[in-house]
Amino acid sequence: MRSFLVSLFVSLCTITQIAKLSREPQFEAISLKGVDFTLRNSPTPRKYLIETMPGGVALLDYNNDGLLDIFLVNAGHVPDPLLPAANFDRSNPTYWNRLYRQNKDGTFTDVTVQAGLQNAGATNYGMGVAVGDYDNDGFPDIYVTNFGRNILYHNNGDGTFTDVTAKAGVGAGGWSTSAGFFDYDNDGHLDLFVTRYLDWTPEKSKTCGRIAEPMYCPPGEFAATTSILYRNRGNGTFEDVSAASGISTKEGRGLGVAFADYDGDGFTDVFVANDAIEQFLWHNNGNGTFSEIAMDAGAALSSTGKKLSGMGVVFQDYDNDGLPDLLVTQLPHEPYVLFHNDGKGSFSAQELEAGLGRLSGNVSGWGVGLEDFDNDGWKDLFVAQGHVFDNVQLYDGSLSYREPPLFALNRGGHFEKSDAGSDMAVAGRGAAFGDLNNDGWIDVITTSLGRRPQVYLNRGGKSHWLTITLRGKRSNRDGYGARVQVNGQVRFATASGSYLCSSDKRLHFGLGDANMGDVEVRWPSGGRQILRAVKADQFLTIEEARP
Amino acid sequence: MIINVILLVQFLAQVQVASGPPTQEVTALLETGVAAEDRGDLDQAIVNFQKAVDLAPASPVPLLRLGDAYMRKHDYGAAIRPLKRAAELSPDVVAVHRLLGYSLLSQGYASEAIPHLEIAHESGALGIAQLQADRPAEAIISLKDALAKTPDDIDLIYYLSRAGSALSSQSQDKLLAEFPHTARGHQVLGQSYYAARMFSEAEKEYELAVTQRPDLPGLHLELGEIYAATSDWAKAEEQFRAEAKLQPGSSEAAYRLGSALLEEGKVKEATEELRHSDSLRPDMPETLYALGRTLAVSAPEAAEVPLGRVIALEKQTPLAGQAYLLLASIHRKQGKTEEAAREVAEYKRIQNLASKRGE
Repeated sequence: MRSFLVSLFVSLCTITQIAKLSREPQFEAISLKGVDFTLRNSPTPRKYLIETMPGGVALLDYNNDGLLDIFLVNAGHVPDPLLPAANFDRSNPTYWNRLYRQNKDGTFTDVTVQAGLQNAGATNYGMGVAVGDYDNDGFPDIYVTNFGRNILYHNNGDGTFTDVTAKAGVGAGGWSTSAGFFDYDNDGHLDLFVTRYLDWTPEKSKTCGRIAEPMYCPPGEFAATTSILYRNRGNGTFEDVSAASGISTKEGRGLGVAFADYDGDGFTDVFVANDAIEQFLWHNNGNGTFSEIAMDAGAALSSTGKKLSGMGVVFQDYDNDGLPDLLVTQLPHEPYVLFHNDGKGSFSAQELEAGLGRLSGNVSGWGVGLEDFDNDGWKDLFVAQGHVFDNVQLYDGSLSYREPPLFALNRGGHFEKSDAGSDMAVAGRGAAFGDLNNDGWIDVITTSLGRRPQVYLNRGGKSHWLTITLRGKRSNRDGYGARVQVNGQVRFATASGSYLCSSDKRLHFGLGDANMGDVEVRWPSGGRQILRAVKADQFLTIEEARP
Repeated sequence: MIINVILLVQFLAQVQVASGPPTQEVTALLETGVAAEDRGDLDQAIVNFQKAVDLAPASPVPLLRLGDAYMRKHDYGAAIRPLKRAAELSPDVVAVHRLLGYSLLSQGYASEAIPHLEIAHESGALGIAQLQADRPAEAIISLKDALAKTPDDIDLIYYLSRAGSALSSQSQDKLLAEFPHTARGHQVLGQSYYAARMFSEAEKEYELAVTQRPDLPGLHLELGEIYAATSDWAKAEEQFRAEAKLQPGSSEAAYRLGSALLEEGKVKEATEELRHSDSLRPDMPETLYALGRTLAVSAPEAAEVPLGRVIALEKQTPLAGQAYLLLASIHRKQGKTEEAAREVAEYKRIQNLASKRGE
């Protein structure tokens, strides 16, 4: 009798523990010690559209100490009224971009001044960030996009950066949003793609909505504009090949950009998330030119033929069929769109089958990631959310300016809502992904207007994982554009995607119960490497083999 | 509001008979007044007619002339007093009531204008007066009567639509004032909140209504639509399912249920409901398109039939364009790239047409 009671007690305890575990959120929302940044967008009653669009965050290891550091883009002070060539007061430390170095104890130190990153340009209102080692010197460089002129900071390798924009010739101009490094011509040097949003200037600004309650105007009120493609000459300078490559042949309203070789032809393609216009899928023709084929490929419009208010985008394989799919976040009343890669160069919208209809019909998504947060072998979904209009509730009582993030676990290709660890509603914008504490579990950092960044630290679990750093030799040093397969799962090497952000460049794979992994790398140079029975739960560096 | 000269002559003849001939001096003043009117000098005409009124205050003719001159001058407020007096002196003269009714109405005295316009059988103006006097049910009858005579009078059509809205609003007010806690009372309030896009308030009202009268047709459907508007598809499904159970013959209930199921990714169930809706009421383009969407997932070849029917029914509309786009997606997956390209071209052509039409 006693043993029965004991076993019953044990069983009950186990059940309780299991129930507790199943309820436990994957993340814990925390504040990072030493990170005191606030994203200051400075909204005015005049509803200048730039005010509601910042800002980016990058996870990078700028000093190669093995710990992820954080670079945060600030916006600026918006004068009221905002006149042409206005000063956004970026010399004021309140409005600086900030670089936080991670210390060995998990705290962070503001090294902005030490790194020489305090000068964001007086006439620049900050937007986003891209990270890539454009000169293959082993240290990640930083590209900051602005309303104004963009800035390329070369990482000197000694903890400092130098503004090399003029020399490199990548200042762009206008209103740049998301940008990303990728190697479109496979010459081993990272090129740079810059999306631009609108042909907007303070003179062209206007308000919409009711006179007594003005709101930001929708993008359709302003003219579209072109993206920019810079080809890396390999000597520290870039050439604007927007016209020669065909990229400038179509005007869009670009907010997000993501890269992957969707058709397996060995050349990295580009997807631009456009707002209130057809999405662009730039097929890399392999000869230095691109063709925009979204409409013919089935990736331009929603499944009901509507134009998306595309904002963030991720270009990864969510259903483990080996082909990169596209997930585009957008405004409410339509779910986030999931363009499933059907192979043979075509896509079909499958958001309803994937469960996104239930998860995203009435929210506004920006930064987005497909990462295996629970290490079960399926990439899960995380979206930073919040409406674009700060007074949207005056116009639609069902909507909110501030929203909690969306976290959904991927169950065999179907997304199911899960607990992000915090339901704090914020005006979410950027989201970057990476393993902040090197525990093998992917963490998230998000930005939100007027607030400090939110960090969602992954609580971890028992599943196995493998994190891979690529070191290109013939290919670009970061290995951007490589296709890496581990136990049937595929990731395309990139730090880009999301919205205005740059994520940890390391490739993370959840292995579930498997304590070994077979790894295949297809490098942008064309080389292929296979590693068998790689031990799980480690950070692995794969150097590109010489031919 | 200016009466024409012929009508005025008729009015004056009627009044003349009723009140007897005016004196010579009065007649002279009236003649010089009319001459001034003919010259367009309304101020001088008013001076002359006023003098005539002063000389013969019990004579309706100078009063009517004076009132008419004020009306020609668009000074309707000043016209009221002489016309009222004329009506007192000649209560059986229809023309006086017609002028007085118009002048009162133009000054916002709708209730006072009504009896005069009734006497004058001015059903259009009467309807407007009744509408302004918060008597929309009567206004509808009068305006319909007027529209029977001049069916294309856009002003009358406008006022009739306003009267309809006012009647609806009045009925709602009555429902809310006298029966606020009934299912219908909650439904009406819920509708108002829904129209104002105050969804959570609308939900609450409808939930109260449904709790009280779960058997009332339409309630579940409307509540489901509120949930659908906020993309709460699980709750929408629940309500549409309740409506479909309540009204098994309702194609709309089945269509809404099928659409909600589709949004939830329950493709098989959605297909069944949409097929059911199609059987209850065939050839509804929206139902066929939704059926095409579900079949595109589960049985792509079968999707071609309903989508083809959408195109046949809709031809050049945006929904036909959507059907082409979906067909293109299906054919692309099947490797029928030429067909897909043709369908994308059709979609673009229809989009261009819609753009030209400003849709």
